[in-house]
Amino acid sequence: MSRLEAAQERRAEAGVPGSGPPQASDVLLEVRNLRTYFHVMDGTVRAVDGVDFKINRGGTLGLVGESGCGKSVTAHAIMRLIETPPGEIAEGEIWFDGRDLLTLSDEEMREIRGGDIAMIFQEPMTSLNPVFTVGDQISEAVRLHQKVSAREARDRAIESLRLVGLSAPERRVRQYPHELSGGMRQRVLIAMALSCSPKLLIADEPTTALDVTIQAQILELINDVQAQTGTALLLITHDLAVVAETVQTLAVMYAGRIVETGSVEEVLLNPRMPYTQGLLNSIPGEKKRGKALSAIEGVVPSPFRMPPGCKFQPRCPHQWERCTMEPDLLEVGRSERRARCWLQAPGEIERRRTYDLAAAATVRDVIG
Amino acid sequence: MIKYIIRRALQAIPVLLGISLVTYFILLIAPGGPTGRFAQNPNITAAQIEAFKRRWGLDQPIPIQYCRWLGVCGDKPFLINALPGGTFELAGLKIDLPGGDNGILHGDFGYSITDGRPVVDVIAERLPPTLILSGTAWVIWIIIAFLAGMYAAVRCYSLFDSALTIFNYVGFSLPTFWLGIVLIQLFSAPPLKWFPVGGMWTTRTVPPFGTERYWDFFWAQPFTALYDLGTHLVLPVVTLVVVNIAFDSRFVRASMLDALGQDFVKTARAKGVPERRVVFKHALRNAMLPVVTNIGLEIPFLFTGAVVTETIFSWPGMGREFINAVGHFDYPVLMGILLITSVFVVFANLLADVVYVIVDPRVKFD
Amino acid sequence: MDTTRATDLAGPESAGPAPDYEVGLVSLNQWQIAWRRFRRHKLAMFGAFLFLGIVAAAIALPFIWPFDFYTIPTPKPNCRIGCPPNPDNIFGTTGGLQRDVFTLVVNGARVSLAIGLGAALFGAIIGSIVGGVAGYFGGWVDNLLMRIVDALLSLPLLFVILVIARFLGSGNWLLIMVVFAAFGWPGVARLVRSLFLTLRNEVFVEAARAVGVSSTRIIFRHILPNAVSPIIVASTLAVAGVIVGEAFVSFLGFGVDVTTPTWATPSRTR
Repeated sequence: MSRLEAAQERRAEAGVPGSGPPQASDVLLEVRNLRTYFHVMDGTVRAVDGVDFKINRGGTLGLVGESGCGKSVTAHAIMRLIETPPGEIAEGEIWFDGRDLLTLSDEEMREIRGGDIAMIFQEPMTSLNPVFTVGDQISEAVRLHQKVSAREARDRAIESLRLVGLSAPERRVRQYPHELSGGMRQRVLIAMALSCSPKLLIADEPTTALDVTIQAQILELINDVQAQTGTALLLITHDLAVVAETVQTLAVMYAGRIVETGSVEEVLLNPRMPYTQGLLNSIPGEKKRGKALSAIEGVVPSPFRMPPGCKFQPRCPHQWERCTMEPDLLEVGRSERRARCWLQAPGEIERRRTYDLAAAATVRDVIG
Repeated sequence: MIKYIIRRALQAIPVLLGISLVTYFILLIAPGGPTGRFAQNPNITAAQIEAFKRRWGLDQPIPIQYCRWLGVCGDKPFLINALPGGTFELAGLKIDLPGGDNGILHGDFGYSITDGRPVVDVIAERLPPTLILSGTAWVIWIIIAFLAGMYAAVRCYSLFDSALTIFNYVGFSLPTFWLGIVLIQLFSAPPLKWFPVGGMWTTRTVPPFGTERYWDFFWAQPFTALYDLGTHLVLPVVTLVVVNIAFDSRFVRASMLDALGQDFVKTARAKGVPERRVVFKHALRNAMLPVVTNIGLEIPFLFTGAVVTETIFSWPGMGREFINAVGHFDYPVLMGILLITSVFVVFANLLADVVYVIVDPRVKFD
Repeated sequence: MDTTRATDLAGPESAGPAPDYEVGLVSLNQWQIAWRRFRRHKLAMFGAFLFLGIVAAAIALPFIWPFDFYTIPTPKPNCRIGCPPNPDNIFGTTGGLQRDVFTLVVNGARVSLAIGLGAALFGAIIGSIVGGVAGYFGGWVDNLLMRIVDALLSLPLLFVILVIARFLGSGNWLLIMVVFAAFGWPGVARLVRSLFLTLRNEVFVEAARAVGVSSTRIIFRHILPNAVSPIIVASTLAVAGVIVGEAFVSFLGFGVDVTTPTWATPSRTR
């Protein structure tokens, strides 16, 4: 963590504006300039390379992008669950409830994990410990964060199992994970996450490993409990259809950076960045029946040979000379609506018009 | 559960039969065979040898000989002979059992060729010293291997981990006969002379182990006896421990690393479980599963693994007895030791399996 | 971490003349990938060189320092219990006949390596076949073969080898090798069986079965290549195990005849 500490010190000395807790009191989580690197045999992978976003109390944010774009690493960094080595949080601030998580001691962080911030993972089949009963695992979470007796913890476990809609929770608590199906296990994991009434729930691809029919049930469940308990939600997924139904705001990630943010409706109906358009275009839609599905050309760049400038440039149908320079997250119209694309720069009216037409056609095809 | 144990026990029967076949094979390849000792004797005629063969059923076909040796065939009808036989006195009552009384099923392993004693007596005399030596070493190295392997897994790629890896490579390549002799040279020879060169007791002050006089001495001066035994144990135990830590600590490290890399460990961390508890509760419990089996498979060592160590340190155990018997072609003793140790091993594996189903809830019984 | 997964695929070699920002477009076969990984692993390379060096020495050096059992060195007065290393004998000499330890080691390498490699190889072959058949077919075949394996594994290996070496042996090293192979395969068989039990339910096996590939071909062409690495690891360890095992047996006096030097000879020549 030495590099992080050095960065924190430098910032403090320079008195960089923006340091310090967020001003607005309704902001629950604010991530600023987060950089997470992995030092592997062939060099350094900048998995997360300057990510900023915030989530309000009770708010919901979807983080979408292809595999390997750094969304899971972002979530793990917030929980400070990055394996060090080879990983390292090199720079950044994660303000949660008035505290910078990256400056907390391990013990303070441990109390936050599972207490104020809970997380559910992608693989329900392997995320539960096979040798302990479901009840033991949930009550363990409860007893770690609240001073309750074993019996009370057990009751809380039953209560949260009931909350996530498992039948006969009194019997479930005595079962082992291998006795449950994948969907049931994901419900158990959600129950475990909710058992301490967290302020923020991070769901890392919660439905990817599940059957399609179960996916819808689990999403509905996450929606319901989010609305019921008022916990904030950070939903990580590669599936735009999932976020469309679940969150209010959206951040699209590509190659370790956020490339577009805004409310779900705006991003999906009016994508301001060719990558988002490409993602939308790859969704099968009613209007596209009978046509071949279009995927984004090419593949994600190798982490060791990032192209200069815009990281999406080698795959981008609209790229031109300017794209060899790295664009900032440019504000688009109103605040909180940003895109990391030169098309949105002032003066690029002609190119923007060409792109807008293509994007509008895509949206029409997909959403109709 | 009970059904599972019974099924496993039934599976052990063919295994035991297989073991007895291999053991019997040794009798067949023994140079000279049972009549070998008459070959050099000019006073014994060919007719006498023939009579001897007939008397002991050696003229019968080999399967029948094997069956008789097992104790299934014999004077009584087939299978009845396998039941317990002989006359016993129980609480003043004389009980006549219908079965046979010779063959290995009835604990009759024959007589040693070298000194004519019953094989069972020889083994009974040699087993305790072996168990004392190997058992002590085993317990110590399991504990060390566990601690070292777990620490290396938690602090993976640390200095300690590298040091353990190097130590393991060295230990894995060290033959016990080399290490044992070096230890004797260092610590038993002048100038240090800290430990005795070999043996199990100091001949001048302590009566031979296992005799009645030894136990009298033991109860009279328990501390002196234990101290004497202890000083004789140190070097052979160190030899065995150093050589055997290597494999187990690597195994523990590997299964611990595997467990620590599982998703449920991440879940445990994400719900705020302290790191200590992640290691000792969530990961260890899972890492134990393969280790239990492995420890079960090591049990044969308790009887046999110390052959060379026993030889070097003149430890009066099964291993040394076995080497003597091999040297003298004393096949009844060899067969007895092979059979009894193998049977122990079969039961030890059975035990390990039962422990396994107790610790792993995923194992289904049917 | 999904970000580190690309590491092995995109090495520096795959960079063509034009800048290529894409992952793993150059496809390598299994052996090329293994070789590339191996080359990068310093310890593995070191081990390989060491091993090849020992093999080369075992082949070449006996021509320079030949060993003849019947040539007894001229005794030196104060070396009755063996000499420490000195300019004449860089590894020292043994006690008794005062043979040069270096010559014994150089000449013993051939037989020790042959026994170790041969027994491990035959053990691996028999074990893979038996384990593969048991794991693939299951049922009574599995039951029968595994009971045999259980029986052989329950017998104290070293004891059995000692007895057979003594009863049948005339100090012939080939016999020792065969005995080690004959009693070394059950361990491999058990390992291969457990690998097959997992692999036979994999989708690619089902796919092969669905298009009508024969059982033999599935076992040897589809499953075995995926089980190879644990088998190689176990067999490599077995080489060392057998060499040390032979040394034990010979040290106890029941192994290879004293006229044929092995790595155990310095420990028993007095």
